Amino acid sequence: MEKKESSREIGEERIIALEGTDLDVSESGASEILKYVSQFSRLDGSSRSPATFDGAQTAWTMLSEEKFLPCITTSCLDLDNILGGGIRCREVTEIGGVPGIGKTQIGIQLAVNVQIPIEYGGLGGQAIYIDTEGSFMMERVLQIAEACVEDLSEYGHLRKDAQDSQVKMHPNNVLQNIFYFRVCSYTEQIALVNYLDKFVTEHKSVKIIILDSVTFHFRQEFDDMARRTRLLSEMALKFMKLSKKFGLAVVMLNQVTTKLIDGSFQLALALGDSWSHMCTNRIILYWNSNERFAFIDKSPSLKSASASYSVTSRGIRNSTSSSKRIKMM
Amino acid sequence: MAPLKSLQQEYPLVDSGFQAFCASHGIFSVEDFLLYDVDVLISSADKQSTSQRLKQGINQLLSIIDALHRPLLTGLNLLEDSKRNKHALSTGCQGIDALLGGGLRLGQVTELVGPSSSGKTQACLQFATTAATKHIGFVIYLDTCNAFSPQRIAHYAGQSSGPVSNDQADHKPLQQVLDRIICYSVFNIFQMFDLLHQLEINLRSQMFKSDCQVRLLIVDSVSSLITPILGGSGPQGHALMISVGFLLKKLAHEHNLAVLVTNHMVGGDSGTSKPALGESWKTVPHVRILLSRDRESNICTFSIIKHPSMASGRAASCPFWDR
Repeated sequence: MEKKESSREIGEERIIALEGTDLDVSESGASEILKYVSQFSRLDGSSRSPATFDGAQTAWTMLSEEKFLPCITTSCLDLDNILGGGIRCREVTEIGGVPGIGKTQIGIQLAVNVQIPIEYGGLGGQAIYIDTEGSFMMERVLQIAEACVEDLSEYGHLRKDAQDSQVKMHPNNVLQNIFYFRVCSYTEQIALVNYLDKFVTEHKSVKIIILDSVTFHFRQEFDDMARRTRLLSEMALKFMKLSKKFGLAVVMLNQVTTKLIDGSFQLALALGDSWSHMCTNRIILYWNSNERFAFIDKSPSLKSASASYSVTSRGIRNSTSSSKRIKMM
Repeated sequence: MAPLKSLQQEYPLVDSGFQAFCASHGIFSVEDFLLYDVDVLISSADKQSTSQRLKQGINQLLSIIDALHRPLLTGLNLLEDSKRNKHALSTGCQGIDALLGGGLRLGQVTELVGPSSSGKTQACLQFATTAATKHIGFVIYLDTCNAFSPQRIAHYAGQSSGPVSNDQADHKPLQQVLDRIICYSVFNIFQMFDLLHQLEINLRSQMFKSDCQVRLLIVDSVSSLITPILGGSGPQGHALMISVGFLLKKLAHEHNLAVLVTNHMVGGDSGTSKPALGESWKTVPHVRILLSRDRESNICTFSIIKHPSMASGRAASCPFWDR
């Protein structure tokens, strides 16, 4: 076995050394060489299928990974239930709704909840908050953080096996663990997205990126819609790559616009048709008789359902209305 | 293309005299030779003193070029190849199989196009599961939107083979099915080119391995890789798109794979939607299917926009992959 290993390594080394020079090898000769090398790598015991290349995973390994993929709770039980536990890592989720429905509130709640310690079922991670509109209010974050810590310590008291009932989360630490970026133009936004790879490599415990809102700088000052589509799709691919590479959740908040559908003007999410394909999941927030609802519009593995939630002084919580029930579509 | 002097070693007729003669006509490489009018070249060679040798050189070049093109196939060869190698992969849904004349055909590129959340990814997952269970073939899934869900695959696999218990013994067949589906995340068109070329090399070097072969290649979605580069000032985006199409069709035909790609819709004139990627892309897939989903009844409708042997406009419905 060892001999074969070493001869394979020698073979590979020789091929790597030859790479720099211009070889006078015919195509059939080249494929012979590759067949020879692949034969050696198959001899070392691993069953290589005809299709594996570096970085590929079979669905079986991904299945066990997917089961244990952490979710970030939204602090609203109904919402968590329809989301299958919360906002999922390794996926890009778009949340859109009319102004005032609570998008920024959800964003702030998620930035706080990602820091819930692992002993309490959270991720114990940090958050990146990219603010394009200037709607991030520090006082509100402090309020939500304090409420979260209070809830956790109450939960800690209820746990019978709690050895250390002191919650390792302090409101000031919560603020410290949110990395805040303010962008003022679309070029800054794109530059920031390009920079995030390096940033997250240096701050490995970042587990969520919240972009509030992705629309703002792309709505005005764009005469060339085709260029806007190209820039947005490039940005979306970069976010997808970030979320897959570092295993974090990306949440993009979107605004609504009116669209001419079947002769009448209806509300639709902004940024056009192409953008609607660029997220993994999409949640639409809407009003229904004075109550706020969230509806799962697009998801590869969740049922279409809607749930109600409310925005309280303590953050996002279950709706207190007695007629609230999860509506399955 | 190769410069003429690189042929000198192997073909002594292409000597320096011949090269000088060609250079006098502005021919320095094989490409220049192909573009130049051969009759003019021959008549000019007649006027030279070494005309016999020069004409031999010209004939030598022409025979080299002749040997390089693909062998001619007759219609009968194609029919035999089609019967032997290019059968259809069942999709798992009888209505769609009937619509497509058996299913996804090996050797062809099929495109699923539809508005957002119309069921394209679910269809891809379902077809992948059927290919892995029923046809015992490998499936390569290139995922650009992190939407590949092994749980859904397990669900579809469980549906076709009956309920799966939690018993360890029952996991074996499920594991075998899932081991045949290989997922790779791509976020860049150049990365996809890399992968497809790597796949081509892998497939070519294992030509004779007959126990388990790659049957299905899925790219979900190809339009999200092409949209960032299409349009703009230069033609590179367009050229890359057509190269991708060409490479996919070549892979499908030479290695007997079925290729499935997904595409999204954009707004067209007067408010109607049309498939993305433009007019040139329309010629690339062999089969184009439009998906639409009725939200209330959760029925997904597949209708043919383009098919090499079926009438377009025919449609079939499938309940939207009950969750």
